[in-house]
Amino acid sequence: MPRTPGPPSAARRRPDAGVRSVLTGAFRHSPARATAACLFSVLSAASAVALPAVLGHTLDLVLGVRPGLHGALALCAALLVAEVFLDALVALTGGVTTARSTAWLRRRGINHLMSLAPHRVVDRFTPGDLVTRLTGNAADAGTAPTTAATGLAALVTPVGSLIALALTDIWLAAVFLAGLPLLTRLLRVFARGSSDSVRRYQHAQADIATRLVEALGGARTIAAAGTAERERARVLAPLPELGAQGRQMWQVYGRAVVGSSILVPLLTTSVLAVGGLRLAYGGLSVGELLAASRYAALTAGLGGVMGQLNTLVRSRAAAHRIGELLALPAAAHGSRPLPADGCGRLELQGVTVVRGGAPALRGIDLVVPGGTIMAVVGHSGSGKSLLAAVAGRLTEPDSGQVLLDGVPLGEADPSQLRREIGYAFERPALFGATVGAAIGFGPYEPPAHAIEAAARAAGADSFVRLLPDGYRTPLAGSPLSGGEVQRLGLARAFAHAGRLLILDDATSSLDSVTELHVSRALMHDVRTGSRLLIAHRVSSAARADLVAWMENGRLRAVAPHDRLWADADYRAVFAHTDGSDSRTAA
Amino acid sequence: MTTPTARLQPRAMRFLRRRTRVVLLLAGWSLLESAHTFLSGYGVAKALDQGFLTGDTGVGLAWLAVSALAVVAGGLAGRGVFRGLADLVEPLRDSLIRQVVSRSLTQAVAHPARAADSAVVSRLTNQTEIARDSFAGLVLVARSFVFTAVGAVLGLLSLAPLLLLIVMPPLAAGLLLFLATLRPMAARQRAFLQADEDLSTQFGTVAEGLRDVVACGAQQPTAERAHGLIEDEARAARQLAGWAAVRCLALGLAGQLPILLLLVTAPWLLRQGLTAGVVLGALTYLTQSLLPALHTLMNALGSAGTRLLVVLARLTTGPAQDPEATATAEPTPTAPDTAPLVAATSLAPVSPLVPAAPVGPRVELRAVTFAYGPAAQPVLHDLDLTVEPGEHLVVVGPSGIGKSTLTALVAGLLEPAHGEIRVAGRPVRAGSGPSLPRILIPQQAYVFSGTLRENLSYLCPDGAPTSALQTSSDAVGLGQLVCRLGGLDAQLDPITLSQGERQLIALARAHLSPASLVLLDEATCHLDPAAEMRAERAFAERPGTLIVVAHRITSARRADRILVLDGARATCGTHDELLGRSALYRDLAGSWQPGTLERGAGLSAKSHPRGG
Repeated sequence: MPRTPGPPSAARRRPDAGVRSVLTGAFRHSPARATAACLFSVLSAASAVALPAVLGHTLDLVLGVRPGLHGALALCAALLVAEVFLDALVALTGGVTTARSTAWLRRRGINHLMSLAPHRVVDRFTPGDLVTRLTGNAADAGTAPTTAATGLAALVTPVGSLIALALTDIWLAAVFLAGLPLLTRLLRVFARGSSDSVRRYQHAQADIATRLVEALGGARTIAAAGTAERERARVLAPLPELGAQGRQMWQVYGRAVVGSSILVPLLTTSVLAVGGLRLAYGGLSVGELLAASRYAALTAGLGGVMGQLNTLVRSRAAAHRIGELLALPAAAHGSRPLPADGCGRLELQGVTVVRGGAPALRGIDLVVPGGTIMAVVGHSGSGKSLLAAVAGRLTEPDSGQVLLDGVPLGEADPSQLRREIGYAFERPALFGATVGAAIGFGPYEPPAHAIEAAARAAGADSFVRLLPDGYRTPLAGSPLSGGEVQRLGLARAFAHAGRLLILDDATSSLDSVTELHVSRALMHDVRTGSRLLIAHRVSSAARADLVAWMENGRLRAVAPHDRLWADADYRAVFAHTDGSDSRTAA
Repeated sequence: MTTPTARLQPRAMRFLRRRTRVVLLLAGWSLLESAHTFLSGYGVAKALDQGFLTGDTGVGLAWLAVSALAVVAGGLAGRGVFRGLADLVEPLRDSLIRQVVSRSLTQAVAHPARAADSAVVSRLTNQTEIARDSFAGLVLVARSFVFTAVGAVLGLLSLAPLLLLIVMPPLAAGLLLFLATLRPMAARQRAFLQADEDLSTQFGTVAEGLRDVVACGAQQPTAERAHGLIEDEARAARQLAGWAAVRCLALGLAGQLPILLLLVTAPWLLRQGLTAGVVLGALTYLTQSLLPALHTLMNALGSAGTRLLVVLARLTTGPAQDPEATATAEPTPTAPDTAPLVAATSLAPVSPLVPAAPVGPRVELRAVTFAYGPAAQPVLHDLDLTVEPGEHLVVVGPSGIGKSTLTALVAGLLEPAHGEIRVAGRPVRAGSGPSLPRILIPQQAYVFSGTLRENLSYLCPDGAPTSALQTSSDAVGLGQLVCRLGGLDAQLDPITLSQGERQLIALARAHLSPASLVLLDEATCHLDPAAEMRAERAFAERPGTLIVVAHRITSARRADRILVLDGARATCGTHDELLGRSALYRDLAGSWQPGTLERGAGLSAKSHPRGG
């Protein structure tokens, strides 16, 4: 068994290691830009802090008609222009840095995702979760370098302003510091009052969504019965409740916003009042009063630091979620070529696969001779699909090994492996812009005639030609039934057929005639090689060269169908399988 | 700002015009905010000139107290503002939800095969919420800017009209520059949102089909495609950053330049008789009121505004409109449940037709041809078929050969390209409205959240007595499930029901309905063979005409007649006739009968030409 770095050890080592490597990696991707953003923002903050004092001084010079006015005015102008241009530069470099970091994180994420064994991902993450990690979380984590770089500046402005306020007049700083907690507490009383309207709002929203999805699922019934108008009313029934809860939410939000919006003006006014008194008694100039009121407002911007911190905390949490994805160990692989003259001999040696702590496949020894068709049959949950997955290395065995033409799959060159092993599934996921591209999807794009030949072999050609644009019909808008999707999946496997084809229940939705047609094509029209068929129908088993009969994760027997048919237990395997039973995928 | 805006503008105006009272109320409350702004500078000027600078501190403190009171009053007015805001925002959200629901239902009903679209949930929840939040943010910010600016301008005017001469030119120039950036920024923002959505969609397909990507060995092309989309989004984000920088310059022009100009011209202003207090008051307006308001306005209009435009354009434009609007535009459909009518243009024999029930109507197809697109090959070609009143017909054939299309045509869901379909002598037209005499039960059984009784009597316009509900339930084999669920008035949660259980409910619903023509389109495919037999028998015993699309070939044995569809041809007859006449039927019947299986050889499905 090839060595793979186990996830538990990596996870146990240091829970923060992943987060740190994600964040430092994002920073290292654009160090110059992040440093520039830091520099620009600190300079901008410095000029913002210096400006009120200079403005005040200039005002005093103007009012007193004293010399040095021109120099002061020039300094004002320089600071104002510098602040404006520096802010523009921060916006530019910060935005670009964030865009670059986000893109870098996403590339790393998708590259890593592509290197994983699919079941490792599916076990850990739902598809929606995965998309969130690669889109929203990557965007959040991508803001980290910029947020961190401009964080210093966010601190410089309010702290510098407070110091400047104290330097202007220590009494005013005292008034500000005393007034801040007092007013905050006062306003919190004012804004008190909570409600669970958010929860009820979301509930009503989900209710409408559920009703709509139900109705869309029953579209044919509704269309045929002409009850669309009734359905509309039924779906929209919770709308008044939604509106009522929504209004409630605005009220609660309004109370909170109103509270915070009057805090700063009240603080500034109290600073002005005390400053006015100091002015009247000659302790302060008019210019200093202007500077003080401006510093009071800037100091109150300390709340912005909390916002910045909040963003960083969010970035960290997001980086953690990306780190979890990146921590999954990539599938190990080798570089041994498969023998050129191999005809697809598949051998499983003592293969055991553990799922959920219990062995789902136990010690399977099985040989599919090159060029033969082997059907795998058994009751639901007997391990058939897992056998199919392990045979083509979609899953690695926990012990034992799988060999194709004598080469262990773990040591083989992965790109050659994928050219030589093809899969078709019960519910294939299709990729590509058009129906034709969906069939051509793979390590290489086969020519158009090969795609059409594969579609003919899979019984898909007839319905594809009925589509509005034939093979060029967009996949997204095509109304395909389950059976049609299944046949496109088969065609995809046929179009890239190598020395081993694994059909995991890939004809279950086909009617008897189409299935017969496909199995005949599989023998004559598709490149020859070995076939492993997971089958539910007696007809599929009967047409195979050999049948592997699975029971509770073990191989019960391997023999031709005719010989096994004498066994009543064997016949019982097919008793309840008429194409539409539900199976639990291993 | 280009086409989507132009399209949205008249609707937006209509929306606001209908809510003039709310808008006026909102403006009224906001005036208190103007008063607060006005006093913030005016109070400072007066406090200085009449109080602190003349040594009369009591007057100075009094002016500041007045201005503090204005702050508190403005804050209290916020409650009224938010009430007005709710009256604007909530109706918008309601109308968006109504449109999403109407449009998706209309589309689903028009193209049932494409109905399963999970994106509708995102439209219904996320996107309407984005619209709600962005609209609210815009109203708040724009309103705040306008009323702050009004307060500040009035303040400057009452302090000294000369001040406006200095402040207004750069402010106007900055605002104009900002307005000029709006259009290109909106375009970039749209490109960014589009790229983001494309990327999510791509990641979604990859995440859903990871197994297939690996099994196909397509990791490389898949990653490359994702890299391309990632780069698209990053490019849009970089361009946005560039425009954000331009916006900073606009802010500098509108907000910061007036401060500098005021200082530069201050000596001259003082010579014109302005006092120190007035200059301080003016500077207060510029730094404490206008600058923050401009800052918020430019940030919000740039991002929230574009987001709102994009989402509104996506939510409100589309092929289908409110059904109320379209219903009146269409020609009035003929009343369905009156006595059978004869189409005026038809040359059919004008005979007084018997009312449909209880025997059931005759179904006639004459030279019917149907294709899904102008370039597509026809699914049905020149099909002739007559189903006699009360007859039980089963349709068999390979998947995708047109069985469901046939039922959809008879049900009036589709319209043939050529030929004519008549039910009880009346021509069937697509979209001819509800037609109670015939019902179609598709493979995908429709069960909705509600009571079992509501679900069962769905197709009974006048309701149904409990005894009838029980009879139909028992007939199709639903009785046990009714007990298990807790009776007819138990609430159903469709998610907890299996496909087979849903089908039983749909079957009982059809059985109970007064329809005299029942079309079952693989409506029993999730039932086991015994349950299927029971259900089909119940329908065979029910008076009326019955057309069944068979999922299992065994259904054919229960039919009066069987229609075999084989792409190019259609063959109709009894079981015994067809065994002799149709090779395809022999194959189908053969693969159903165990024992006739031969490994690989002997059967001849391939000898049938498939659709040309």
